[in-house]
Amino acid sequence: MEPSDILKILKDEGFDEAVVSTSSTRSIYIKIANSKVDSIVEKKNERGRLFVSKEKKVAFSNIERPDKQSIKLAILNLKQAINIAEPKPDYYGIAEGPFKYRSNFIFDKKISEISIEEASEIANQAISEFDVENIAGTLHLSSYTYSIATTKRVEASTMGTEARLSLRIFKNGFSMQDYIASRQLKEIDVSKIKNSISMLEYTNDTGKVKSGKYDIIYMRSPAGLLFSNVNDMACIDSVEMGSFLSNKLGDKIANRDLSIYDDGSIESGIDSSPFDEEGYPTQRTPIIKNGILKSYLHNYSTAKKYNTKSTGNAGLVNPSPNTMVLYHRKKKSLEKLISSIDKGIIVTNTWYTRFSNYLKGDFSTVPRDLAIYVEKGSPKFVIKNLGSSFGIGIRISDNILRMLEKTTSVVNDTTQSTSWDSDSYYYTPSVLVEEVNISTV
Amino acid sequence: MQEYEGIADYAISYGLKQGFDYVEAYLESGGSFSYSRKQGNPNSSYKSKYSGIRLRLIKKGSLYTYSTNIISKERIKEAFKFSGFKGEKVGLSEEKAEKYSYKVKERIKVEDSYESAVKDVEELDKSLNGLAYRSISISLGKYENLFVNSEGSRVYSEIPYISSFILIIVKDANDSRQKLIQLGNTGGYEVFKWEEIRDNIEEEINSLKKVLKEGISLSKSQINGIKNVVASSEIIGIAVHESIGHPLEADRVFGREAAQAGTSYLMPSNLGLKIGSKEVNIFDDPTIKNSYGFFLYDEEGVKARKKQLVKKGIQNELLLNREYAKALGTKSNASSRSDFYSNEPIIRMSNTYLEKGKADFEELISEAKNGIYIKSFTEWNIDDTRSFARYQGNEAYIIKNGDIEKPVKNYKLEKSTFDFWSSVYLLGNDFNLYAGTCGKGEPQQGVPVMHGGPSALLKFGGK
Repeated sequence: MEPSDILKILKDEGFDEAVVSTSSTRSIYIKIANSKVDSIVEKKNERGRLFVSKEKKVAFSNIERPDKQSIKLAILNLKQAINIAEPKPDYYGIAEGPFKYRSNFIFDKKISEISIEEASEIANQAISEFDVENIAGTLHLSSYTYSIATTKRVEASTMGTEARLSLRIFKNGFSMQDYIASRQLKEIDVSKIKNSISMLEYTNDTGKVKSGKYDIIYMRSPAGLLFSNVNDMACIDSVEMGSFLSNKLGDKIANRDLSIYDDGSIESGIDSSPFDEEGYPTQRTPIIKNGILKSYLHNYSTAKKYNTKSTGNAGLVNPSPNTMVLYHRKKKSLEKLISSIDKGIIVTNTWYTRFSNYLKGDFSTVPRDLAIYVEKGSPKFVIKNLGSSFGIGIRISDNILRMLEKTTSVVNDTTQSTSWDSDSYYYTPSVLVEEVNISTV
Repeated sequence: MQEYEGIADYAISYGLKQGFDYVEAYLESGGSFSYSRKQGNPNSSYKSKYSGIRLRLIKKGSLYTYSTNIISKERIKEAFKFSGFKGEKVGLSEEKAEKYSYKVKERIKVEDSYESAVKDVEELDKSLNGLAYRSISISLGKYENLFVNSEGSRVYSEIPYISSFILIIVKDANDSRQKLIQLGNTGGYEVFKWEEIRDNIEEEINSLKKVLKEGISLSKSQINGIKNVVASSEIIGIAVHESIGHPLEADRVFGREAAQAGTSYLMPSNLGLKIGSKEVNIFDDPTIKNSYGFFLYDEEGVKARKKQLVKKGIQNELLLNREYAKALGTKSNASSRSDFYSNEPIIRMSNTYLEKGKADFEELISEAKNGIYIKSFTEWNIDDTRSFARYQGNEAYIIKNGDIEKPVKNYKLEKSTFDFWSSVYLLGNDFNLYAGTCGKGEPQQGVPVMHGGPSALLKFGGK
């Protein structure tokens, strides 16, 4: 059933507003381990979701599958949920349509129709490109259709595809991980990963570093993982709940050459969509522009609460970020950036980024793969503060507002990237952050 | 669930006819109710119902997992078009074909408790009035699962659960302290003891305020100079989970998670490694009644049991599924789990803990004489090989001349795994388990677990 048909059924149930969405997805995950295709997971699902409001009470339910019986059950569940709920005093409704949407988002039919045999062949081909000790990774291919209808005259649908190759390469007792991600299969070019793992050539020389301050070059993936916290914490519900961005609108909070955007409208962006979860058109929103905190992220209801406009970030109750885009006016080649460092570390991958204080922005994160010590403008050795085989043994412990202020230049290498530790994508270059606190084992 | 049993059986017979070496079908049906409040106001309520089927097939050694929420013969047939791939050849350990059915008892059924949950959350929320920031969410529901395979196993289970997240932040003009509390149990609504929960949270708030008001900051050299640490069961629990449970998952040891949840200091070449002092005995046990990580059979139909991961400081058992049990020439110890029918089952912890000792808490403190007592943590992290962890103290106190003194704001317990566990000197006679959601795999799967143990004295400078 189409969302508009389901909406007709809901209209007689006495709710003030309703949003109906349905989706159909197919995903393939090919796991690579020990330099072989290890196993394959394929998923096919057809689901739906309902949101309703009544006298400022709000409730959700899911549609188990798109048939009449499931819809009937979903409506019963909704009624129970909304009867139990209390009014949400700061709820102001859903966006009033109709809207015009951009329609240039890429859909790659090859991904949606690919067979398991063809997909496993791509993975095997990628493995064969490397002459190293060990490769692990994932080839992920997925496609979806998503439709929405609301009681506020929204009726829209979109389609999307995703291809992501993640490879972790082990050589000389060290490892590097990189990602290629696109809406198009033809963009999954293994040579891009081959180029980025060329740093493994530095592994002939190893050494230890001491705890202290270092200039850090975060390569794209860890840069995105760190700074996407800005977009998470710019969502108005995070701001209300205590974020390092709370009460700072209009303040200078970052380097004057740094801007961070939330953008759901990038045509090649895997997380992009013409509209958000209430059908409001997505857009590019400056969160930080030239160092100044410009905007929080809103849906229609929260925007109305704060007398501003939606930024296309519904989340029907709580806004959610689209894609983080980081821009910096000072760009250099990676070589020039390295040559500008007196004492620093190139960090190629991080994980376990955790905040000990959301309000202040104190955090720590752990370099997971290759980290290279740089001295007087040249890479000196690969850091090995741990005796065990692939461990690095250093930790970054600092403050994200300080990171934003101390991001003084970037590499001209922006591309769509992600991390195993993230469920979203980001467009970010590799960045230089000065005087970062490092602790060691 | 019953209406789909025939489809699961059909999958087995159809797969065998198609020449597959191994076929299993896993049906899941669940329903839940969730409710949340933020800053003293209602946020949202959500009631859901879902079902789906997962097939795991082996053809010529190739492992393929197919899942769908459209539970029909047509979809099942589609999965059996799989013809294998060039790559790893998987075998499974020989296991007894199990036939078993179990339901976790509920005195108060979770599906009859939604209104009670809303009222109890509201009452808790009122008691938090006055905090700078606060949010509470609760989820209660039930999983129903049927596992059948081509070897004759048939296991049915029905497990109700309740879980909750509570974020509290206290603040003064210059500083703030935060705590995210996760609660989780299996069983009926009666397993959540609200009076106890409210008392514990009140104690947490008072502690945060005390550290905020009276806490001192230590210099780096003072922190580095601390040799004797009394770690609470909360600290011991997270350390057990991160630096023992994860690295002893066989799929990590053998490299299957290398690009996802990571590797391990333990490798096929150093099994039996000495990890800690002889005081250290660590177990993983999914059979603990009402625990968040409870199950009696895993998702390969293998009967669950208590496993000893570390015995007197030496690595003992690994966490195993059938694939890695076969590789090691042994039997599975029932560690195969998924977070949802649509994801592949992989090796996971359940309830993992350090065995308790005999010492009273006062004895730990007096034996430490001078050092620090770390009672709770905020941020934590660990490296890829699980060799280098940090637990940032949220509530910690100086120990001076055998007494607990001033609170400390900035203590970090940052040690190598082997330093940490080799320094375990004396174990307390207290014991607590803490609920958590453990992430692993790709796409990431979060499964309910518990971790814990007793308080313990760690002497980093030797005895």
